[in-house]
Amino acid sequence: MQAKSTVRRGLSLPPYLLLIFPAVTFMVLMYGYPFLSSILRSFINPQGEFSFENYGKTIDLYLKDIGFTLAVTVLSTAVSAVLAILLAVYLRLRQNSISRALAALYKIPIFIPFVVVAQMMNSFLAPHGILNLALAKLNVIDLEHPLQLFNFYGLTFGFVWKMIPFSTLIIHGGFQMIDNSYIEAARSCGAGLGRVITRVLIPMNRSSILVALVLVYSQIVGTFTLPYMLIGGKIPTTITVDIAHRINYFRDFGVANALGVFSYLLVLITAVYYLRSSVRKMTGYQASEG
Amino acid sequence: MNVPAKRILVVTAEIVLLVLVLLLIIGPMMSLFIWSVAHRWYWPNTLPQEVGFEYWKQALGMRTSLAIGAISIIPAFLLSLTIAVVVVIISMLIAIPAGYALAKYRIPFGAVIMFLFLMPNAFPQQPIFVNLLRVFTRWGLSGTVQGVVLVHILVGMVFGVWITSATFRSIPNYLEEAARSVGATRLYTFFHITLPLAAPGLLASSVFVFITSLDEFTGTFFIGLPFVSTLPMTLYSSSGYNMQFASVIAIILLIPSILFMTLIQRVLRAEYVGGMG
Repeated sequence: MQAKSTVRRGLSLPPYLLLIFPAVTFMVLMYGYPFLSSILRSFINPQGEFSFENYGKTIDLYLKDIGFTLAVTVLSTAVSAVLAILLAVYLRLRQNSISRALAALYKIPIFIPFVVVAQMMNSFLAPHGILNLALAKLNVIDLEHPLQLFNFYGLTFGFVWKMIPFSTLIIHGGFQMIDNSYIEAARSCGAGLGRVITRVLIPMNRSSILVALVLVYSQIVGTFTLPYMLIGGKIPTTITVDIAHRINYFRDFGVANALGVFSYLLVLITAVYYLRSSVRKMTGYQASEG
Repeated sequence: MNVPAKRILVVTAEIVLLVLVLLLIIGPMMSLFIWSVAHRWYWPNTLPQEVGFEYWKQALGMRTSLAIGAISIIPAFLLSLTIAVVVVIISMLIAIPAGYALAKYRIPFGAVIMFLFLMPNAFPQQPIFVNLLRVFTRWGLSGTVQGVVLVHILVGMVFGVWITSATFRSIPNYLEEAARSVGATRLYTFFHITLPLAAPGLLASSVFVFITSLDEFTGTFFIGLPFVSTLPMTLYSSSGYNMQFASVIAIILLIPSILFMTLIQRVLRAEYVGGMG
């Protein structure tokens, strides 16, 4: 109300200032401040002095886990990208009842939260879970020696399960923007299926494939729920689980924040790419309309 | 190879693909369902020896027996629901004006503001919760419902702002300009022209924030434990020792996310999922 009267008096407060003020204030206090504090606090030792102690401790104790996090993330991202591209190519090129059924089916896991995915994988991948029972029925494995999956491989399986639908959604969206005439032109020049995929579809859809890779990669690095519920404190585990242990058992914010900075570093390249391309896209919108 | 034989081969391959995808998607869900009705299931039986809905009845508060170690989830469910409703109301009150401003005004330092709203998608959020825990402990907000609501608003609002701003951007400026040119005030134009046109997008955005709050785990874990038991927290704490009960809760949490998926199917775009604008 007060702001409105100042407008009338001619101090001319731009209207967007009022509109955006609550959101920006909230984000500065609830995001900006803790973000900066997570970086600053990583350089403060338990005695309250500036030091690299937390980083020394982190490298001593958790270097293996940082490598584990990177390995799980890279493998899960790569596997989901390849499978998502194949599925999206299939959905783009085939128009029949089977492909329509698949198109409806693949999206189901998109909104299933990680806490539910974790519980699913907990029972599905268990030594005597459905997967092992089914594989034993097919005589692929011996139930006396079931696959142990509460580790690197099970975690990767869980991430891939959750991320393929999301990547397929983005990549398939990109494929649908490619006009049929390009594909037909390539075919009429004698290109086989393989060449149509590698020379037409994928190059023309590079940007949405890149977006899918970036979003999947950065989301996996920051996911806490699935690794925490699937492998927990076993060694090796992910950075996110280590952060929770540092806080819950030791109230050690210094090392937790140093671990946090390592997780920022793991996503640095994808974050820069994501922020740059998003801001550019947004300002592009504004310029074209303003 | 002659043409019909090749055709049969392709269709067979497609059916194999369909069955494989079906098994991979449904398999883990089936696992939850079987566990939720398994009264007795000992290795190496492929299926439970004894099935029934005892755990469901316990969870839904229809029966109380101490024998199977299950509790009623009704309080946790109501708490999650209340938090989600409050979170939707507050985040939308903040996000709608911000989304509108980002879509319709040329804001100085606009890129910096967008940057702030994009950061949570670009970087892991867990260190944020850790540092909020430190601050909230000082302010007496850790372990309280208010603290959890604040964190859920943070998680939901980022999506809220992007989806609302995309919605407002899709409404052509000339409609507002036409209303203004015949004498409507800015507020009148907003409430009578822009808002009704944006309603479907704003609704989708609210439902999305609602689901995000209902499912939120990491922030609640750091800020709310051990006193705020939302549904995901109850699932987590029973996950280690009571497979059946955890499966019941997981299925209850599964339902809204699949329902939302089927409802939004037609307008589903990447920005609803990954926050891409």
